[in-house]
Amino acid sequence: MASSYKSEYIPKSVKVHDLNEFEKLLKGVKVAACMLTDTPHIVDEASVIRRVSALTLGGLSGGDQCSCCGAGPFHTRAQQTAHYKHHWHAHNLKRRLFGKGPLSLVEFNSRQDDNSSVSGSDSEVEDTGSTDLFAAATRHCKAFFSNTAGKVFCVYRCILHHKKVILMVSGGHFAGAVYSGGAIAVHKTLHSYLVRRGQGQAQSTRDQHGNMPKSAGASLRRYNQAQFIQHVQDILTSWTEDLTGCTLILYRASGPLNQSALFGKGSLLSKDDPRVRALPFPTRKPTFKEVQRAHATVANIEVYVPIQKGQKLLGGSMPLYLTSKRLSQQISASLPSYSPGSNRTGFLLDRTPGPSLSKGGQSRFVSHVTYREVKPSLGINTMELFQKALISSTGKPLAKTGVDNSVSDRGGRKSQKSPTKPLNRAKSREPAPRELPTQMVSSEDEGPCFIDSETPVGWIKTLSEQSSKGVITNSRKDLLNDNSVCSAASSDEELDNKNKNQAVTKKKKKKEDTKTTNKKPSQKIPASIKNNQTTLETIIEGWECDVCLEDACNMADPSDGNTALHKAAIAAKPCMVTELLGVGGDPCMRNHHQQTPYAASPHHDTRLAFRMFQASHPDKYNYAKSHIPGPATPQQLEEERERKAQQKRAKRHRDKQKQVEKIRISKFLEMTDAQKANACEIWRCFMCGAHLSKCPYEYGECRFCSTKCLQNHRNLRPLKLSA
Amino acid sequence: MAVRVQFENNNEVGVFSKLTNSYCLVAIGGSENFYSVFEAELADTIPVIHASIAGCRIIGRMTVANKNGLLVPSSTTDTELQHIRNSLPESVKVQRIEERLSALGNVIACNDYVALVHPDLDRDTEEILADTLDVEVFRQTVAGNVLVGSYTALSNRGGIVHPKTSIQDQDELSSLLQVPLVAGTVNRGSDVVAAGLVVNDWCAFCGMDTTSTEISVIESVFKLSKAQPDAITSTMRASLIDTMS
Repeated sequence: MASSYKSEYIPKSVKVHDLNEFEKLLKGVKVAACMLTDTPHIVDEASVIRRVSALTLGGLSGGDQCSCCGAGPFHTRAQQTAHYKHHWHAHNLKRRLFGKGPLSLVEFNSRQDDNSSVSGSDSEVEDTGSTDLFAAATRHCKAFFSNTAGKVFCVYRCILHHKKVILMVSGGHFAGAVYSGGAIAVHKTLHSYLVRRGQGQAQSTRDQHGNMPKSAGASLRRYNQAQFIQHVQDILTSWTEDLTGCTLILYRASGPLNQSALFGKGSLLSKDDPRVRALPFPTRKPTFKEVQRAHATVANIEVYVPIQKGQKLLGGSMPLYLTSKRLSQQISASLPSYSPGSNRTGFLLDRTPGPSLSKGGQSRFVSHVTYREVKPSLGINTMELFQKALISSTGKPLAKTGVDNSVSDRGGRKSQKSPTKPLNRAKSREPAPRELPTQMVSSEDEGPCFIDSETPVGWIKTLSEQSSKGVITNSRKDLLNDNSVCSAASSDEELDNKNKNQAVTKKKKKKEDTKTTNKKPSQKIPASIKNNQTTLETIIEGWECDVCLEDACNMADPSDGNTALHKAAIAAKPCMVTELLGVGGDPCMRNHHQQTPYAASPHHDTRLAFRMFQASHPDKYNYAKSHIPGPATPQQLEEERERKAQQKRAKRHRDKQKQVEKIRISKFLEMTDAQKANACEIWRCFMCGAHLSKCPYEYGECRFCSTKCLQNHRNLRPLKLSA
Repeated sequence: MAVRVQFENNNEVGVFSKLTNSYCLVAIGGSENFYSVFEAELADTIPVIHASIAGCRIIGRMTVANKNGLLVPSSTTDTELQHIRNSLPESVKVQRIEERLSALGNVIACNDYVALVHPDLDRDTEEILADTLDVEVFRQTVAGNVLVGSYTALSNRGGIVHPKTSIQDQDELSSLLQVPLVAGTVNRGSDVVAAGLVVNDWCAFCGMDTTSTEISVIESVFKLSKAQPDAITSTMRASLIDTMS
C-alpha cells in the first residue's frame, strides 16, 4: 500500500517549452504565505524581570495545562507529573514533532488496543510523504510562490534566464556548456592529470607544504596544471561571444586552484559580475552528463496542490525565514523583470497584492522549465506535509542558501560561517531518520513473547503474529527472559515435545483433525494483522490443500522471507527449532537478508540446537549451505564444558598467585634499605618491588628495575655529597 | 555573577565545560586563561577538573551532570572515567551509559531536581538518569526542538530556553520544572543557549560575545546578582519542601 501511494505522490516532470502551462502558473504570482512571518521575539530586561516576578510572586499561572495533549488543568503536582510521564504524552509529543494533531486519551487507548493503527501502514504512509517533502524543502534553497489558481510552487531562483552557461572545474576535470533556450548551443569537457594518483591532492597543494618533490610525476603534474588553466582560459576565450551575451553563468569551482582556472589572470569572467553565481547544490565530477543534470535540476519547478483548502494552514504562524520586505527585494534582484511592453515571449503577469515584481530593465524569458504536479486529490493532507516541510527547515533560512547567488549576499557570505551554524544544521537534520513513534509504543506495551500453542502450526501462527507486531525483533530482553524460562522448564518441555510429536504424526494421518486445530488459533489473531499474516495463510492453505507439512514449514513470509524455522530461531526457541528441523524445515533456506535460520538466531542455545540436530541427523539435509559450523555431540559439549571449567580454575589460581605476590611486595617495601639488601631471597626493585632477574640499575646496595625508580629513590634520600 | 570567557577564541563555552553545584569540568588542552577564569570564581568552593571524553574536548555536550552525579557516554575510555572518578567529590556518582543518542548534553537538560529529555531517549537511560542524578525525568520539547539539552540552560533558581519558545510553552515548562523560565539568547543572539552558557546556583559563565543586555537577563533569571553558595538552596531545600508541602 505504501509503495502505491508513493508512486502516486511522485510528481511528473513536464517540459515547459509549451509556454501556456507556465503562463498559467505565473498568473497573479505572489510570494506564498508560508514565506511571510511575524516579527522576531525580542527579549529585553524589563520584560524578563516582569516575568520572573510574576512567576515567583503570583505562583505558576497558566502553566498548569499540557499544551501538547490538551490535558489539565492539573490540581496537584502529582497529577501533573503523572501526566507528563504517561505514554500518552510521549506519543502526542512525537505526533506534534511530525506535525500531527494530538490524540485524546480515549483515542490513544483505543489505538493501543487496535494494533492496526499502531503498527499499521497508514501512519507509515503519511510519514514517508512528509520526509520526502521535508527533504525537498531543506535540500536546497528555493523560493515558494502561489498564484491566483491557488497553486503553490517552488523554484530555484536562477532559472528564469534565457541564455545560461554552466561551468564546472574540479580535480583536473573541466566541463562547460552554453544553453540557449532548452538546448545546448556549445559544450566542452577536458581532463588533465593534476591530482596525485594514490595520495589525492593536487600537486600545487602538496607543494605548498614545503620541500617540493622533484619526481618526474610531480613535474609532469605541475606542467599539466599550467596547461590545464591555459586550456580552460582558451575555451572561455573561444566562447567570448556566448559569455558576453548570456544572462547567467553558473559555476562550480571549489578551492584556489579551480577558482584560478576560471577567474584567474586574464580571464573573461570576474567574480564581481552579477551574472556569475555558484551552483546552488552539490554536484559530482565535472562531466558533460553532470552538466546536463545540473541544468535539468536548476530548471525545475515543483508545484504543490491548490491552496484554497489549506489557506488557513498557511497563515501567519509560520516560523521566520525572511521578512517580507527583504524577500521582495531578493525576488526583484534575482527574478528577471517582466514588463508588458517589452515582453518578447508575450505572456503577462497580473499585478496582484503582495510583493510585486519590479518593472523595467531588459526583458528575459523563461526558456526551459520542467514542471511537476501533485495530484490535487491529496488535498489538505499534502498541504500539511508541505507546511511541515517548511516548519522543519527553521534552522536554515531560505535566504541564505537560496539567494546566495545574488550579489548582495556575496559579500556577507564569509560572516555567515559563525560557530553556531553546524549546530543548526544538525537540528534541521535531526527528525529525519527517527523511527515511528507508534512502533515504539507497540513494542513496549507488549508483554514478553510467549508461545502457547500446542502444535507446530500453532507455533507458526503465534510466531508470525509476534513478528508482525514487532515483538520478536524489537525486544531482545524479552527474548532472553523467555529463553531462561524456556530452559528452566526444559524437562517439562521434553515431555511436551513427545506429545507434540505424536500430535504431528496424528495430523499427518487425520486431515480433519488438523483443520479443527487450524481454525481454533485463527480466531485468536486480531483482525488488524490480517494483512500481514500471509505466511500464515499460505501455510494454512498448504495444510488444507493437501500439501505436505514439509512444504508448509518451508513457506517463506513474503514480507521478510522468514520461514517458520527462521522465526523459531529468531525467537530463541531451541526446542521448537529441533521440532521444526525434524518435521522438515530446511535449514538452508535464506530470508531477505540472506540469512539462514542458523545465522539469524540471536541466542547461543538456539544455535546449539541446530548443531545438535546436525549431530543426530547427519544426512537429513545438506548442511554445507546452512552456515551451521559443525555437528555438536553431547560428548563434545561435555568436553567443552570441561575445558571451560579448567580455564576458570587456572584463572583463579593465577589470581591467587598475584594476590600472594602483592602481599610479598608490600612486605618487602616496608623494610628499610639495609634489610632489603640482606633479605633478598630473590632480587627485587627497591622502589616498586618488582622481580629482577639480573640487576639493571644499582647504586650503593640498592637495586632498581628502571631509571625512574632509581631517580625516585634518590629523590627520597638525597646523597650526602659533603662527607 | 555572570562572567564572560572564551575557549581558544571560541565563544561556545558550554561546549567545553560543565558546571554544577558541587564540581566543574573543563576540557583539557585549553589555554591557561580559560581555566584561570573558572578557577578564580570557583576554586574556593568546588573542584575544577580537567577532563576529556573519548579523547574529545566537547565535554559539555557529551556529558550530563548535576550535584548528585555525572553521566558520560559509552565512548568514554576507562582511563578518562578513572581520572574523573578520582577527581570528583566522594558523593558524586559517575555512570557510563549505552545510549544511541550519545551526545547526552544535547538531549538532556537538568538541574538538581528535574530533567527534560529528548522524546526518543531510551527507557533504560531514563531510569539510570533518574537514579544517578536523582531527578524527575520528563520527555519534552523546547520550541519544537527535540534537542532540549542544547536549547535549555537550567539551574535550581531559573532557566533560559530557546528564544522562539512561546509564552504558553514557557509557562508550561516552568510549571513542570518549578523554576522561572525566560526565552533568551547568548553570544549576541545565538539560540543554542546551553552551548553559550554554563550556570550553577551562584555563578554563570558565558561566551565573550554575550551582550550586556543578555548578561543582565542571565543575571536576573538565574538570580546571580548577590548569589553565594548557601545552604538554603542546596542542602536544606529538599527538607524544607517536605515540611512546607
